[in-house]
Amino acid sequence: MEGIVFAILAASLATVLSGIGSAKGVGGAAQTAMGVLSEDSSMFGKMLVLTLLPGTQGLYGFIVGFLIMINCGVLGGEVPTLMQGLAYVAASLAIGFGGMISGFAQGKASVAGISMCAKDEANFSKAMVSITLVEIYALLAFIVSLLMVISIPGIKM
Amino acid sequence: MKSVRIIALKKDRKRILEHLQNSSLVEVKHNEVPHEGFERVDTASQLQRFERNNQLLTQALKILDKISPEKKSMLDSFKGKREIEPEDLGSIAAGSPRVISICSKICDLEKQKSDYMAERIRLKALSAQLEPWGSLDIPLNTPDTATTAILIGTFPKMFDESALSEALAEEKDLVFDSEIFFSSVNLTCAVIYVPKAQKEKAENVLRTLGFTRPLNPTSRTPAEKIKRLAQKDKELSEKIDKTVEDINKYVKYRQAISDTKDYFVLRSDKYKVISELDQSSHTFILYGYIPECDCDKLEELCLRAADCIVEFSEAGDDAPVKLKNNSFTEPAESIVMMYSPPSKEDIDPTPILAIFYYFFFGMMFSDAGYGLVLIIATTIGLKVWKPDKSMRNNLKLFRNCGYATVFWGLAFGSIFGDAPAVFYKLFTGQEITMAQLLPWPILDTQKDALTIMILSIGLGLVHIIVGMGCKFYVCLKNKRYAEAFFDTGLWMLMLIGFAVLAAGMVISPVLMTVGEIIAIACAVGLILTQGRSAKGIFGKLIGGVASLYDITSYVSDLLSYSRLLALGLTTGVMAQVFNMLSTLMGTSVFGIIFMIVLFIAGHLITIGLNALGSYVHTMRLQYVEMFSKFYEGGGRKFEPFAVKCNNFKMKNSEEI
Repeated sequence: MEGIVFAILAASLATVLSGIGSAKGVGGAAQTAMGVLSEDSSMFGKMLVLTLLPGTQGLYGFIVGFLIMINCGVLGGEVPTLMQGLAYVAASLAIGFGGMISGFAQGKASVAGISMCAKDEANFSKAMVSITLVEIYALLAFIVSLLMVISIPGIKM
Repeated sequence: MKSVRIIALKKDRKRILEHLQNSSLVEVKHNEVPHEGFERVDTASQLQRFERNNQLLTQALKILDKISPEKKSMLDSFKGKREIEPEDLGSIAAGSPRVISICSKICDLEKQKSDYMAERIRLKALSAQLEPWGSLDIPLNTPDTATTAILIGTFPKMFDESALSEALAEEKDLVFDSEIFFSSVNLTCAVIYVPKAQKEKAENVLRTLGFTRPLNPTSRTPAEKIKRLAQKDKELSEKIDKTVEDINKYVKYRQAISDTKDYFVLRSDKYKVISELDQSSHTFILYGYIPECDCDKLEELCLRAADCIVEFSEAGDDAPVKLKNNSFTEPAESIVMMYSPPSKEDIDPTPILAIFYYFFFGMMFSDAGYGLVLIIATTIGLKVWKPDKSMRNNLKLFRNCGYATVFWGLAFGSIFGDAPAVFYKLFTGQEITMAQLLPWPILDTQKDALTIMILSIGLGLVHIIVGMGCKFYVCLKNKRYAEAFFDTGLWMLMLIGFAVLAAGMVISPVLMTVGEIIAIACAVGLILTQGRSAKGIFGKLIGGVASLYDITSYVSDLLSYSRLLALGLTTGVMAQVFNMLSTLMGTSVFGIIFMIVLFIAGHLITIGLNALGSYVHTMRLQYVEMFSKFYEGGGRKFEPFAVKCNNFKMKNSEEI
């Protein structure tokens, strides 16, 4: 029964840490994009894509958080034991920190990509690809968290 | 691509160029200097004239837009351009002087309007100065009477009657009377009466107090003056309204103005081409590029237009590229072009890219409901707006992606997330899963995540091997056999070996052994061949062994395909969350309304976010994982001499 506290903590950690990363990343990119848009509003579509790229980390974290809630008795599933609850916390740390720090990094890359795209729109695809290079690390963290979270209910602890 | 040379008489120049521009078949080659014996015509002065006209028209359009903004919805940008007949262009040309005079009238009216506005501001300031004197019943420049001097003016600080009297009493023997009309922190308006004999004395003391006469004294009382100013202001505002009305009368010419603007763009394009022509006293020569399939069309067109000679020859290395694909793969051309047009060495990657693009997009977006939304929205868009080629291709791209999305959505058992199951439960109260609802076996993104991840990486392996296959083909075509077999072929085999090995772990140990043998044989092959450019036996061996390190890059490429799972899962989970939220309020009337609103809004958000994510990440898989295996890029896009207007396009002309 005590496990539920930790499971909820895990869901919060996964969501909030990666959310911080995305919020900071998207926020910085949006500021730069607005500077560009004040000069040339026709670039809105491209700027939107580049700005939203660091936003996926938050989504990954949210999904892990949601899956924990589904598994641990908040939105369905069985209430975890203490050890299972702790295991959820451990599992959520991957996407929490992976998402947060890659969110910061991707935000910086986005800002640079936006400036590059503002100079010459033909650079858009290059900027986009370079920014998604950062994404792989958030993705790996997410997959690891995900695989752990979905297997924890089956492990007796 | 072919090089083309068109030789014709100068008198036919206009006709031929017009035909070329309307047909958009030829890109004009840019040569710095004319061939020997020929000259260039300088068209700079004409171009300048067009530019001036263009500026005037643009300014007039801006003024019209400010006064009566054009009603435009977001969706209008999808709309195709208006089609016009070549004859219509003639009437636009004939009407252009009139349109230009209308535009200068509009600009003049605008200038008049701003003059009136400036005058109004000046009057307002004047009236504000007089405001404090409102209750004074004599004019500000009232002259002295026979015995009394009248001093009207302001002090730069606050005085009341007694304080003023005190201040004036500083001067001995001064006889005076004062009246204060207005007083605030840094302004006091007062009238001071002194005997004429003491006027100088009074002025001296007043000067020390900072007393100043009003700036614009008039012979009327201030109240009267303020009234007159207000009257004038009213007249001006009527005049401004009248001017705006006058400008408004020209709003109906907006279309004509934009058409004329486009007409000048066309003409300046044409004059730019004229300045590129090699001309002799009676003939001219045009050098250009043309796609091979259009050669006959061009020849026929030119011969029909005038007497001329059209010669084709092989295009050189700097020839531009035009991709040619069927209607299924063509929409993906824009994705190739966004990366870079293919160089002379490359093959056109569009067909391969198109298939994988649709397939991977579908796997990431992976929801039958969203797929249907994409298909329906793009089909309606194509039917209703009849958009131009590039927009049409974009819509088609998403429509094709939509089909793949429906396929993967059905495979993952996702129709607006788990909406069918959620609604079933809401109205019947019975728990049911999508797997039970759907008659076919499904892969649940949450429960079978590991299976889908393996599937994703397997698909990635296929993608990469196809990419390497292209490299293999390109090398064979260019007769670089060593590169084909040793650098590409061995790695392909090795990856296949690993795949067989992995499959063997699950299926049978025999396969494992087969896979192992393939992989080891390839590794030995790589060690023996990869150092072939190095000198000495040790150099060769070290180069060969070091090349095995490339395996890490293949592994990271393969892991990158796990995003297929991640994005698919994102879509599914977000949809599920909104389904859950929308059924929170139960089945009461209020609950149903709440449900409908939240269901639509929630799924629109999900579609927006995840379609964008799928678009970007699919593109990345193509660019980084696949193109890096074989595609060089760096070509130049074919940019024909054509009608490039914002407003209209020629009927029956080839679209670019």
